[in-house]
Amino acid sequence: MTAGDAIDLKRLQEILYRLIVAPRGVAAGLAQETMLPAGGLERLIAGDDRMTPVERVEIYANGYFYRILDVFKEDFPATLAVAGADNFQNLMTGYLIDYPPTAPSIFHAGRNFAAYLSIHPLRERWPFLADLAWLERTTLESFHAADAEALDAGAMRAIAPVDWPALRMRAHPATRLVDSAWRVDQVLRAVEDSGAGQVPDREGVTIIVWRRDARVSYRAAETAEREALRLASTGGTTFAVICEAIATAAVEGEDVAALINRLLARWLLDGLLIRTTN
Amino acid sequence: MKRSDFPLLGFGVGLRRPHYAEILESRPPMDWFEVIAENFIVAGGRPLEVIDSVRAHYPLVMHGVSLSIGTTDPLNRTYLRDLRALAQRIEPAWISDHLCWTGVGGRNLHDLLPLPHTEEAVRHTARRIREVQDFLGRRLLIENVSSYMTYAHSRLTEWEFLAAIADEADCGILLDINNIFVNAFNHRFNPRRYIDAMPADRVVQFHLAGHADHGAYLLDTHDQPVRPEVWELYEYAVRRLGAVSTLIEWDDNIPEFAVLAATAAEARDREARVMAANRDAAVALGGNPRSEA
Repeated sequence: MTAGDAIDLKRLQEILYRLIVAPRGVAAGLAQETMLPAGGLERLIAGDDRMTPVERVEIYANGYFYRILDVFKEDFPATLAVAGADNFQNLMTGYLIDYPPTAPSIFHAGRNFAAYLSIHPLRERWPFLADLAWLERTTLESFHAADAEALDAGAMRAIAPVDWPALRMRAHPATRLVDSAWRVDQVLRAVEDSGAGQVPDREGVTIIVWRRDARVSYRAAETAEREALRLASTGGTTFAVICEAIATAAVEGEDVAALINRLLARWLLDGLLIRTTN
Repeated sequence: MKRSDFPLLGFGVGLRRPHYAEILESRPPMDWFEVIAENFIVAGGRPLEVIDSVRAHYPLVMHGVSLSIGTTDPLNRTYLRDLRALAQRIEPAWISDHLCWTGVGGRNLHDLLPLPHTEEAVRHTARRIREVQDFLGRRLLIENVSSYMTYAHSRLTEWEFLAAIADEADCGILLDINNIFVNAFNHRFNPRRYIDAMPADRVVQFHLAGHADHGAYLLDTHDQPVRPEVWELYEYAVRRLGAVSTLIEWDDNIPEFAVLAATAAEARDREARVMAANRDAAVALGGNPRSEA
């Protein structure tokens, strides 16, 4: 580009993008920018007596960061409550460097937040933070998951008992399992109830997240239902296989038939399963 | 295209989450709702239940924020397919998005950045609007955005730029009155000149919203009532452009639904007064009493 040429649209957008997302601010980003035309930012953005070009670009830089921060505060309230506002804001700064948004909807901006937290130095202080963020993210994904007709007690009653063992079923698209070495479900519940974060018990847990009547719920899975629901979550399986998984996981001496009945009744009530042909 | 290709919907408000329950349960009187398309481009769940239920009782318009029509990246075909699928589902009266770019290099800023007002940008953007219109099988409305910077190499005014793109793409215009006011302050121009320059037959919708005064600049925040100066400009727009479907936008600090409904009612009253005055003036001049537009 020569001094007399107007900068082409592509290069203009690339420069502005880099300045807006520069983690230490527009002025610092400007100092590192190598694609500016002779004459600097003034050649691209007009300043006036009210605001310099840098100040004008800063409006967009602040808008970028705080818009996404606001969305994350809403999407990860428990992670925010545990980490505190300052740490959370610093986490966001680092996260946006590693995972800049790429999808049209801002909803997807947080999809890698848990993965980012899982290798962040703050895990030394809060080793459960990544799992907590993952649980929060999972509740959001469950909320927006595809619709499907859940198996309920009425549907099961309409099937002849003799056909139940071969009945194929799978987890509803909104049913998700979250594994953690910490009771992060307790943290999320505490934040929902009181707004305050807490350190959870160190105890392995599988958390079932599901949606029923557009409401997302979650609870710790019983030992006997973990494997059965995992089988249903990874693809279609038969009722017989699910029963077998429950029986295998049952405590010695437990009434397996009663256990299956109780778990099945709960799953049907919560709409965790759908009927499938594959 | 011409304005009469689209229905005159009257006065609507943006469909926002805090009001879902009230709208679904009590079905308040409202001419129409505008939905943010991206909020409903989801696989399933509550958002789609809501939009289907609302659509059963009200006309809807789809308003996008992610088309990024001015970016130099290729058009996002996945997004366009999702947009088309949603349109097939809810049959909106029209689809609109912003005259801006929202990202580049596959990255998204989730903001509406202005384009330089150049012939290059006119050609680039108009070509892409045509592509989108072909893909969607319908005319698009493009909205003027609020902006906080001007490009040193711009050669057209903002209104010349908007009108040139609408003409070259043969698309409609969603004219945001608040954005005109905000930009007039931020970039020191007369907002009435902007409205005077609009091709009346392409203006299919108005937006009204609140903004914040930051001293050196106005910020388009959609978090407060429409300011008196913007109402005044709205009346001027009605005087010049005639009766246009009008929508109240409120996205932050969202008040009770009744407040939005009252604001839409105020727009209706103001339009009625202006249109009556237009008719009186036309009759006095012995002309067509229907509209100046």
